[in-house]
Amino acid sequence: MVRKDCDVIIVGAGAAGLTLAARLAEGGKSVSVLEAGPERKLGDLVSSQIWARKLKWSEPAVSESGDHKIGHAFNAGTGTGGSALHHYGVWLRMHEGDFSLNSDHGLGLDWPLTYADLAPHYDQVQAEVGLSGDSKQERWRPEGAPYPMPPLPLFAQSRVLAKGFEKTGRHTAPLPLAINSEPYKGRKACHYDGWCDSGCSIGALGNPLAVWLPRAQTAGARIEHNARVSRVIRNPQNPQRIECVEYLQGGERKTLHAEHIIVSAFAVQSVRILLSSATDKYAAPGNHSDKLGRYLMTHPAGTIFGLFDEEMSPHQGVTAGQLLNHDDYDQKDAPGGFGSSQWMIGHAIKPHDLLGYGTNRPDIFGAELEPWLKRASRHLGNMTLVCEDIPLPENRITLSDRVDSDGIAHAHAHHDLDPSAAARCAQRMSEGADIMRAAGASEVWSGPRIGQHHMGGAVMGNDPAESVTDAFGRVHDTDNLYVAGPALFPSSGAVNPTFTLTALASRQADHILAIK
Amino acid sequence: MPESLSRRHLLARGTAAGFFIVAGQCLWLTPREAEARVFEPQVLSPEQCKALSMLGDALVPGAAAAGLAAYIDLQLQAGDESLLIGKYLGVDTSAQTEFYRAAADNVMSLADENTSAHTFVTSMATDSLSGWAGPPASYVLFVLRADALDVTYGTSEGFEKLGIPYMAQIKPDKPW
Repeated sequence: MVRKDCDVIIVGAGAAGLTLAARLAEGGKSVSVLEAGPERKLGDLVSSQIWARKLKWSEPAVSESGDHKIGHAFNAGTGTGGSALHHYGVWLRMHEGDFSLNSDHGLGLDWPLTYADLAPHYDQVQAEVGLSGDSKQERWRPEGAPYPMPPLPLFAQSRVLAKGFEKTGRHTAPLPLAINSEPYKGRKACHYDGWCDSGCSIGALGNPLAVWLPRAQTAGARIEHNARVSRVIRNPQNPQRIECVEYLQGGERKTLHAEHIIVSAFAVQSVRILLSSATDKYAAPGNHSDKLGRYLMTHPAGTIFGLFDEEMSPHQGVTAGQLLNHDDYDQKDAPGGFGSSQWMIGHAIKPHDLLGYGTNRPDIFGAELEPWLKRASRHLGNMTLVCEDIPLPENRITLSDRVDSDGIAHAHAHHDLDPSAAARCAQRMSEGADIMRAAGASEVWSGPRIGQHHMGGAVMGNDPAESVTDAFGRVHDTDNLYVAGPALFPSSGAVNPTFTLTALASRQADHILAIK
Repeated sequence: MPESLSRRHLLARGTAAGFFIVAGQCLWLTPREAEARVFEPQVLSPEQCKALSMLGDALVPGAAAAGLAAYIDLQLQAGDESLLIGKYLGVDTSAQTEFYRAAADNVMSLADENTSAHTFVTSMATDSLSGWAGPPASYVLFVLRADALDVTYGTSEGFEKLGIPYMAQIKPDKPW
């Protein structure tokens, strides 16, 4: 008799994993979620950028190389909610052209689906999570249902920065956010206190703890914490079938068997688990054509800061920002580089921490510092550029030579930025400084170029020779193993990925529930 | 800010007051209480703590009094649970202790009476400090500045100093 502990095992309790857990459990499946990190509750999320670091990825460290590193520890998360627990709630749809990068421009990869395939799931998910925005003002937005809530209010900072866009012939619209502008489905409205990065304990930000976890648990899904998955194991009689997941918990090595297994452990750890599942007899699932781990992407991003005479009150609002500009988004091949780009405008900001204004002016120190910080705390404006990364096969996740005390190999992530994407980023940053000056800033400076968000590594595609999974995330050389989350993305676009990966998970859930 | 970062200064001045480890707990102590209860670092040496405090204070005045050395030492004890900014930067927690020790040792060996703190910091920022060994001086400066900002301005007391409302949803029991 074949052992079956549950219908579905989900590895990773982040945005994709808990969306699937809720939907599949509500659809009648028995679901077990294995989360490597500790249990987290909304009440644990204290308002402190220092304590918020507990939400980030901890050990084992992911080693990195390349000229544009992915910043694994900063972008990834651990514990219930995963990286989405500390995400800022910018929920943007990818544009139609993002799905056909190779066909349109001869670069990177195409998606095995179109915007039209995903649009119903964008609509469904935004109603479930609750998005605030104004779709009519987003002149660039692909077709879709209007947002269920009005946009968040504009504070002083964004009203001033908007003038810079207007004076340079550009447009702004309210930034669409998974943050409640009014009470929604029993969750509170935002307090505009800028503590989004700490996890939003009041549940106004639609992180997985606020939205999907309660639904998953009500529907009977079980969640095991501190359960670190080492590998998936093929059925020896039928190697197309993955029969179980092996994991470590409390010093014990355990296995869990199920009909369907979904690996949704963010980009790097999902690939690490699959790569670790190779045996002497069989390649790692999905690595039949050496594509597993390749096309790792991270958005090149940077922040422009400016000091103004006006009162900007940059402590007010939300971390994500208040306004959006996508004027240049669809001109991927415009002169000056390659790729889409967007501006998120008017972030609530703290004086310290990696993104804080005190950290980004190393030239001001000593006796000059506190007066400057006091000025910045009232008169600072800031906005962030996000650019498209071009998927390259050389950018890849591999297993490191380092092995932990349990014998599990660490992951290594290599990422170089394509010169044309780097040029686009530099071009737009320069334009951003001009916009800041046009808004009236007397002093303008920029932060470093960083890697924001992780995508790729287990890319979906129609051709098994060129991809890891099919259009539903099923690993090509298996019957019942799926990948979920941003690892599936064949291209990055230049929008924050959480909305798209959640829409993909919604589509995957429908697909799995339809399997007889 | 001290005029210079000389060894004499380092040895003469300790972490004055702020948050200290007492019986394994991080406590806020007034200067008078601090005098009565000695901060005993568990990972770094007292001299290394003094060096980091002095450099941190040169970057962010008030960092030493806010407990910079105690903060670093406590977090180094915490291993995987460390809250140090290095965690964001992908530095292995196991490598962080050596990072801070090397930083402090460099400061102790290279600071002298004749170099102003401003010049010393500027030389670190441009990696032009002759004799510096180990992690690049500019990187050390970035990390230590971030740590110093954390303890000085990353708390509700620090926000108050800048005139910013903290607006906590849930106020942390401890600053770190």
